[in-house]
Formats: sequence, C-alpha cells, structure tokens
Amino acid sequence: MHIMEGFLPVTHAIGWSLASAPFVGYGLYVIKKRIREKPEQRMLLGVAAAFTFVLSALKMPSVTGSCSHPTGTGLGAVLFSPGAMAPIGAVVLLFQALLLAHGGLTTLGANIFSMAVVGPFAATLVYRLARGIKLPFSFAVFLAASLADLLTYVTTAGQLAFAFPDPVGGFAVSFAKFCGVFAVTQIPLAISEGLLTVVVFNALTRYNARELQDMNVLTGQEVRA
Amino acid sequence: MLIEQCAYANRLRLVTPAAKGIFCLCGVIASFSAGTPAAACGVAAALASVTVLGAGIPMGRYLRVAAPALLFLGTSALTLAVSLTPESLNNGFSIRIERTSVQAAAQVVGRSLGGLAALLFLAMTTPLTDIIGLLRRLRTPETLLDIMVLCYRTLFVFSEAVRETTTAQSARLGYATTRHALRSMGILTANLTVQVWQRSQALHVAAMSRNGDGPLRFLEHDHHHSARDCFVFLAGGSLIIFLSQVLS
Repeated sequence: MHIMEGFLPVTHAIGWSLASAPFVGYGLYVIKKRIREKPEQRMLLGVAAAFTFVLSALKMPSVTGSCSHPTGTGLGAVLFSPGAMAPIGAVVLLFQALLLAHGGLTTLGANIFSMAVVGPFAATLVYRLARGIKLPFSFAVFLAASLADLLTYVTTAGQLAFAFPDPVGGFAVSFAKFCGVFAVTQIPLAISEGLLTVVVFNALTRYNARELQDMNVLTGQEVRA
Repeated sequence: MLIEQCAYANRLRLVTPAAKGIFCLCGVIASFSAGTPAAACGVAAALASVTVLGAGIPMGRYLRVAAPALLFLGTSALTLAVSLTPESLNNGFSIRIERTSVQAAAQVVGRSLGGLAALLFLAMTTPLTDIIGLLRRLRTPETLLDIMVLCYRTLFVFSEAVRETTTAQSARLGYATTRHALRSMGILTANLTVQVWQRSQALHVAAMSRNGDGPLRFLEHDHHHSARDCFVFLAGGSLIIFLSQVLS
C-alpha cells in the first residue's frame, strides 16, 4: 500500500524523508562495505532490486478470493539483510512511482520508511526471535513475512493518521479509521504473503540449499537434514 | 508497461530531462501552494492538458495509468470525510460527516490530483534512463545509481521470465484453484530467486572480463537547445504557479 503523490502535507513529506534518509545512508554504507569485501555483490544487489520490483507486480491469490501484490520485504530482508533493503527498497519505490505511478516523489520518504525500513527490520527481528526460541524454520519464515507485511500497513495507517487526525477523536480515532479501511485487503494479503514466502523457502531449501547456506539463511546442519 | 511505452513515444521525448524536471517541480509547488480545492484542480487540469495535448499521450492510456492512484485517493478521501465520534463506552462510535472534514478532504483531493498530474507529466514524457542521467548530474551517490542502472537493465529480463513461466504453468492448470495458484507462484518466485544469483554472477564475470569494476555508465542522448528548453519549461511552470495563486 503506497501513499500517493501529493497526499501528505509538505511538512510531513519533508519529515518522513528526513526520517528515512539515515537508514538509506546506513544501507549505502553497508552495501559499499560488502562490495569492498565481495565485489560480486555489486551486481547481486542491483539484480535483487529488479527481482523485488517484478515480485511487487505479480498478482497474488488472496485468501478472500481477490488478487493482491506481494511486497517482498520479508523475503528480501531474510535473504539480503534489512540494512541493504533500505537503498534497494528506495530504488524499487522510485521505479514504482516513475514506471507504474504507484506512490509518488513527495511521498517517497514516507513510503521508504514504512516499506523499506519498518517492514524489513520487523521481518528480521521476528525471524531471529522465532529461530531463537527454536520455532520450525517454515513457521519462522511465515511469521516474519506476514508480520512484516502487517507492520508495513500499520505504519502507513499511522503516517496517514498523524497527518490527518480526526477533528473530534484525534490521532487514535483516525488511526482506527485508516486501519479499519485498509485491513479488508491488507490482513488477507499478509496471510497470503506469509504462505507464499513459506512455499518459496521450501522450494529453495529443496533445490538450492547451498545458496541459502552461502547467504547465512540456513545452517549446514539444516542443509544436510 | 504503459508509462515506459509513452515515455519513448511522445512529442517531448527529445526535450532535455532537466527542463521536464523543472516543469514537474513547478507543478508540485503549484499543487501544494494552491489555496482552494478548485485552484488545485485547475493546476491538475493544466498539467494533464500539457501531457495529453502537448506531449501527445492518448487520453485512454493516461486514465489507465492514473486509475490505481485514483482508487487509493477515493478510499482515503472517504476515510478523511467521515468522522467517528465516541458515544459512550458501551455504545461505541457514531459516524458523522462534518463540514470541516469534507473541506479538508476536498483540499487533499485537489492537492493529490495536482501532484499526480505533475508526476505523470514527468513519468510519461521522460524515459527512466534520462531520469537516471539527470540524477547523476544532481550528484546522487554512485552506489545508488549503480543499483538503479542494474535494476532497470534486468527488470525486463525478469518480466519476460515471469511471463513465460506463468504461461507454461497456466497451460498445466497451475492456476486452476487458489491452492494450485499459491504453489505455482511459490515455485515461480523460488525460481526467480535462484536466477538473481545466477544472473548477477554472469553479469559480474562479464564486467570483470572487461575490467568493469567502476561505476556503470552509459552513453546519454545529446539534448540540443537545453538552455532554451529549460527557459521555456521554467516559464510554463511559473505560469502554472501564477495560475494556482490567481484561482486561490
């Protein structure tokens, strides 16, 4: 769910851009360091951005019967680390604005914050916590992908409620309104994306376990199992 | 991608991207500075006219590209216009439509339409390669530009792979039921994920064999009359800002 061009007031647009900038800057620092150590990663990150863009254009069957588009933030964060996902997400969101008219240029900062910062970091945190308490790999992936999706949408609802508080009930009522309106599509989408990410990782574990081990997603013991 | 097709086949294709960027910026400023919803809608109409009549973008394509954003705008504007008032702890909320809420929603709708028209002007008249060239001149970090260049060059390869795989899966009833569709899409995505590694490795080998370890640069179009274009589009943009103030 992208906030469209011109929707946010100018102060909020600037504020969210400033909030996202350190994460994108840190992400660029992480990427530069990775490229110095492993020069082949330079191409990998660019290709990963194209992969995320194409993934976001796929029509996904939702559990309510309608079709939605996966965000790919959970999958990307588990595969490429949340730090690297901020610049990759920024490029993908810019391309979506310029090639698909989804999102916008003045709302790029707000969209980066919800989709390329909160989503990937939430996915990584949930995945590590789930693996820390020894939950099965598939369940950990499901939780990471679906909660990342859900938190992305809650953040967007929060951004909109912050910009447009209800005249009577203030931020809380406005937040409840936006959450309620977008929940109809976003909760089934989050569940579908969680299931899809599990199917993806099952296929990867079966046929491409070596690559997952190289990316530190799976341990050698899990690969042998 | 409709926008990409329009960007390569319009009357403003050879105008320097800097001029179109200036015009888009003026459009955004005009939308944000418009005092009334009518003024912002006037700005949107002016920008859309320049795109459709000036650049020669077909109206049907323009509306098809704008449709998803307009759907978001409709849903969100309705949410803004409707106000929830807490009745009591047991009775929940009552739904009201306040005059002030409707005015605020109308202001947001006007501003968003203006912003969307400005974005569509830039996106539908300027190929992404030109915009990347413009960002390079604006001193965007090289790492970010490299990701953009690689992403742009590879996304059409991936799109083609998705199209061919989906056709093959559909021919084998892979999308016949929701359960099958989820499984087919999972296999498709896993296959694409593996291609990320394979294609990036092949690109790396190709680049290293040509000593290509620096920034990825490509030849750009020569834009004649850049100064003249910038002046004309700045004048046009200023006129739209003036229009937004007059209508306010």
